[in-house]
Amino acid sequence: MARLTIDNRSVDVPAGGTILDGARALGIEIPTLCFREGVEHFGSCMVCVVQEMNSGRLIPSCSAVAVDGMVIETANNEVRDSRKTALELLLGDHVGDCEAPCRRICPAHMNIPLMIRQIAAGKLRDAIITVKKDIALPAVLGRICPAPCEKGCRRSLYDGPVAIRLLKRFAADTDLAAESPWLPPPKSATGRKVAVIGAGPAGLATAYYLLQEGHACTVFDDHDKPGGMLRLGVDRERLPEGVLDAEIETIAHLGADFRMNTKVGRDVQIEDLQRDFDALVIAVGEIADGAAAAFGVEAAMHGAKVNPATLQAAGGAVFAAGSAVQPSRLAVRAVADGKRAAASLSQFLADKEVNAPGKRFDSKMGPLIEGEIDEFAKENDAADLVVPSAAGGGFSLDEAVSQAHRCLHCDCRKADYCALRRYADEYQARQERYRGTERREFERILQHSDVVYEPGKCIKCGLCVRITRQAGERLGLTFIGRGFDLRIGVPFDESFAVGLEKTAAECVRACPSGALSFKQEEV
Amino acid sequence: MTELAHDAMQAADEIEIDPGEVDQIIAATGGRPEDLISILRAFQERYSYLPEAALRRLCETTGISPATVTGVATFYHQFRMKPAGRHTIRVCIGTACHVKGASGVFDAFKQYLGISEDEDTDVDRLFTVEKVACLGCCMLAPAVQIDDLTYGHLSPQKVPRVLRDFLASFRQTAEARAGRAAPAGAQVAGEIRMCLCSSCVAAGARGVYDEFRRQIAAAGISATLKVVGCTGISWQAPLVEVALPDGRIFRYGRLAPQDVRAVLLRHFRPTSAARRAGAAAFGLLERLLTDQAWEPVTRYAVDVRDDSAHQYHTRQKQIATEHAGHMDPLDLDDYIRHAGFEALKRCRDGLSPETLIDEITRSGLRGRGGAGFSTGAKWAAVRAAAGDTKYIISNGDEGDPGAFMDRMILESFPLRVIEGAAIAAWAVGASKGFFYIRAEYPLAARRVRKALEICEARGIIGENAMGTGMPLHFGVAQGAGAFVCGEETALIKAIEGRRGMPRLRPPYPSQEGLWGKPTLVNNVETLALVPWILRHGPEAFAEIGTESSSGTKTFALAGKVARGGLIEVPMGTTLREIVEDIGAGVPDDQKLKAVQVGGPSGGCVPADLIDTPVDYEALSSAGAIMGSGGLVVLDETNCMVDVARYFLRFTQMESCGKCTFCRIGTKRMLEVLERLCEGDGKPGDIEELEHLAHITQEGSLCGLGRTAPNPVLSTIKAFRSEYEAHIEGYCPAKSCKALITYVITDDCIGCTRCAQRCPAEAIAVTPYRKHEIDPEKCTRCDTCRQVCPSDAVIIESGPRAGPPDTKRGTDTPTLLNIPTGKGH
Repeated sequence: MARLTIDNRSVDVPAGGTILDGARALGIEIPTLCFREGVEHFGSCMVCVVQEMNSGRLIPSCSAVAVDGMVIETANNEVRDSRKTALELLLGDHVGDCEAPCRRICPAHMNIPLMIRQIAAGKLRDAIITVKKDIALPAVLGRICPAPCEKGCRRSLYDGPVAIRLLKRFAADTDLAAESPWLPPPKSATGRKVAVIGAGPAGLATAYYLLQEGHACTVFDDHDKPGGMLRLGVDRERLPEGVLDAEIETIAHLGADFRMNTKVGRDVQIEDLQRDFDALVIAVGEIADGAAAAFGVEAAMHGAKVNPATLQAAGGAVFAAGSAVQPSRLAVRAVADGKRAAASLSQFLADKEVNAPGKRFDSKMGPLIEGEIDEFAKENDAADLVVPSAAGGGFSLDEAVSQAHRCLHCDCRKADYCALRRYADEYQARQERYRGTERREFERILQHSDVVYEPGKCIKCGLCVRITRQAGERLGLTFIGRGFDLRIGVPFDESFAVGLEKTAAECVRACPSGALSFKQEEV
Repeated sequence: MTELAHDAMQAADEIEIDPGEVDQIIAATGGRPEDLISILRAFQERYSYLPEAALRRLCETTGISPATVTGVATFYHQFRMKPAGRHTIRVCIGTACHVKGASGVFDAFKQYLGISEDEDTDVDRLFTVEKVACLGCCMLAPAVQIDDLTYGHLSPQKVPRVLRDFLASFRQTAEARAGRAAPAGAQVAGEIRMCLCSSCVAAGARGVYDEFRRQIAAAGISATLKVVGCTGISWQAPLVEVALPDGRIFRYGRLAPQDVRAVLLRHFRPTSAARRAGAAAFGLLERLLTDQAWEPVTRYAVDVRDDSAHQYHTRQKQIATEHAGHMDPLDLDDYIRHAGFEALKRCRDGLSPETLIDEITRSGLRGRGGAGFSTGAKWAAVRAAAGDTKYIISNGDEGDPGAFMDRMILESFPLRVIEGAAIAAWAVGASKGFFYIRAEYPLAARRVRKALEICEARGIIGENAMGTGMPLHFGVAQGAGAFVCGEETALIKAIEGRRGMPRLRPPYPSQEGLWGKPTLVNNVETLALVPWILRHGPEAFAEIGTESSSGTKTFALAGKVARGGLIEVPMGTTLREIVEDIGAGVPDDQKLKAVQVGGPSGGCVPADLIDTPVDYEALSSAGAIMGSGGLVVLDETNCMVDVARYFLRFTQMESCGKCTFCRIGTKRMLEVLERLCEGDGKPGDIEELEHLAHITQEGSLCGLGRTAPNPVLSTIKAFRSEYEAHIEGYCPAKSCKALITYVITDDCIGCTRCAQRCPAEAIAVTPYRKHEIDPEKCTRCDTCRQVCPSDAVIIESGPRAGPPDTKRGTDTPTLLNIPTGKGH
């Protein structure tokens, strides 16, 4: 038994127990990557360091045996700095993307790869839910969006990008054609009311997301039909009116109160709105120089002056979205703004601090090295390049499914439950801090029927090595080589299929990064 | 190359695996998990690499898991997964060799053999070219070992000659190895003493020894030819001592086989048959001794009264290397005559372990492996540890490039180390011990094994050690190329037959060591000092040296020093005394720049701190560490950024890869240093290096990572301006290839020699006219400068005239932007 102090609290640790044991007994969280309950400790990642105050030394708590009289601090600046540095060193050597380039480029940050995989799996209802989480008007955008996502698609280096826009259109059209198109389940009414000025893409999107949060929403527009530039500025052949109407209809279904032919300043005064509503959203499209004042906000260079992150004006109860903030021809940007404005509004209406949600850590591998595309493509290089056969240019189900199979899965299979990413967020670690001169080449090993191994994401924690050994795998996994070139592999260069006969699932679950992942995730 | 191709055919035929033979190899080595490294070594010895079929068979028959076998086989550098060439060329890249141009020699071997960059073996599979951390013959730098022959003082131009010589001698091996026995029964008229340790053999001692044997037999001289422990006077190796019955001793340095006859005839009377020829030879010797025109005149630095050799010794105090030069390493009686095993007898005769530990503690002995922990305290901790089974390990994994003290001690004084280990075992209550010896020291391992056999045969160790009725067994465990195994927790894993990855301490090995049992790990030199302390008393030892650092310390003195070798000096001796008095200063009219102490864990003591005494604390406050005792002298032509890069490249390569900070931190530091030396440095690089050094020091798991930044930090501290110069695009020492340019001055006499020798055809032949070097083609191999008879080739490097050339790549440095006009 050893009695020690951790963060000023005394704890008894059984003989041979570690500092981590003591901390856990006290309910103190210490990040770990190479440690796992039930597996022999190793002490390699150095993310679990704590400081022993008598000696001043930083020690890995997972391996350091608790000794009587130790005084441990687990969260002082030195400890946090050291953990952050360890994470940054690991991340600087991390070859992989948390998020796919297509999603990164999308102004609405839509989870494109997930939608594609859902389509590939025939889960079309799930696909539209994924789409509408970020895109309020997917059938519209599926027709008119210039698709910046496709310019980022890695497959364009191989045989042409995945037709993301058409897939989105397929998902949306299928949904609209359904007996009952999907409607997001609204939360119970909050009793708060928002006036949205302008029924263009930004205003419509704002309303769509506000209504989901249970806020009442009245949309003012001086035209006779909602749609703004979508109705006025787009070629009908590209965007048939019926499609626009159908998507606006779903917003009306959620409870939007459209006040058409109502011009603010003429038919209704801004002061009235300020009085009658809890908040205002300016989504009127491009604002002429100096005209912002008419909406009760300061003018910026191009439009209403708002905090660019939260879209909130200094006044507090006024927000702005779309071209009213920054003129743009990109409908997807307006739609994305609408979602952001709604999120800020929800915080505001709930009397919370209005702060834009921080971006999650996103590992980036950067431009591909020559030949690397083949490594990505080998998982599904046979997928055909399909073009829509139907008139009007939409995919049939079969076409959509085979198109979806062309996706190279650039995003990490473990992006949502990767410990490395979680701690990178927690410690605000910067991947660029310790980038090397040359990065390792991306590799994706698909030998195992259920497991993908991507060595560039491995942090050499050896958990899989220890798990396979403990479980008595016939071959198991082993460390190969040493130093910077240390890697994990199957003895005698055998396939992972025989290396992981019993423990594949356990190893994937234990792997703290995306190095080992399940081939088929839940989609 | 037809002869080569023929040899290669034979080599290729050898690689065929017979399971029965594999089983035999395993049976001969033992099939326990801890025998794994030995088995793999035996495989490699037999097949030149580790054939997969043999490894699989090993798993089947021993039950050692495939994961373990693969893990271990790929951890240690010496193990190969591809067949090697018939002969292995090991180019030493130790510190001394590095500062004298080893990388050029390595490139020259590969180029000459037509081996591409990613390969190490020529297409005919005749030669495999490898780099080796240190061959331990620093005074022959740059040195190369081909199989068991060593060539010293190499240069790129000598490479073809060396290969021809090797192949010629290889064909004669059978004949040469047959040898002839020394005459038996003749009346002994004197003793000829020679050391055949690795350093001396590298310097050519084997050839001289064989020639003595031949000549003694041929001339019928009644002299005993005796192999003795090394004197450490590497700068005069091969050194021969002739001891006459009247007590007179004559020493001959830098002897060559052709000199042997003359030496013999000077002191011994040949039989009548050989007399006539002898007289002529004697005359020749006399002439050589007096003829100043004889080129390598230093070859005959004749006797101990020679002033310089005298200085070399008076500054020294030999304890660990006591009786160097006249004791046969493997002659037990000789050792006993020189008070050998008297200390151990004191233990047997009733010295209690407690008193013994107390004496060691009072002597002030501190670990000679580097960290300087009190030996007495360590012994006490192991003694006090709970448990009946305890082990002792003699750490002979001396891996620092530029250090070869432990090798010399093991090769020359194996009995003394065994006695020290036996005493330590007695003190801590261990009945089993291991001599861990690094793979690169085969002779040390052979001699220790032999010495153990001798001791066992005489009852000093064994079931009834020294007649005490108590068992004491020792084994020899050999590494396979991993510097990190010098770290005690890694070393223990290596002995257990596992990957040598260190673990967090505590628990210290004194609590949980080999197979989880309390284990004493002591450095070879530490153990070699123990018998003397017990014989002379702790006070006598404590009297030598300084307040905090008592006794003596051995150093491998090498680099830019006139006389290098293994030295043993009292603690407190200053670096100046070592460099100037023992080493006779920096040669070639160069100025001392710094002394690198402690190898890759140590640092550079700049010339202005040269009066720093050898003392654990004083050295560390001067920016270095005692380390294991590598002492490399650097002059003004050595670039300190390059020195830092050299050491970091070493530690980075030797990192086990376990902990994040060392695995990635050292790599990132190295990248910055590479950048600086390649001329791609940028403002902020020095600060970034300091930052990386700091985090690697703080965060690494074991001593390797924690000390790896030392060479960088110490050179930045003392030579910051040199780092700044590299950022500005020049190398003040004119050493970094990417930052220098070769220029021919008006002193050129138009002899065309440079143009003829230039391997890159960068110099056009213009007889009788001044030659010019094309900087685009020039590979900066230095050949032109070396061959120029009128010193007309100079190296230039100065600050950039214009803005940095952004186009310059790292692969093919162009130097057009560096002014080639006046020197700086």
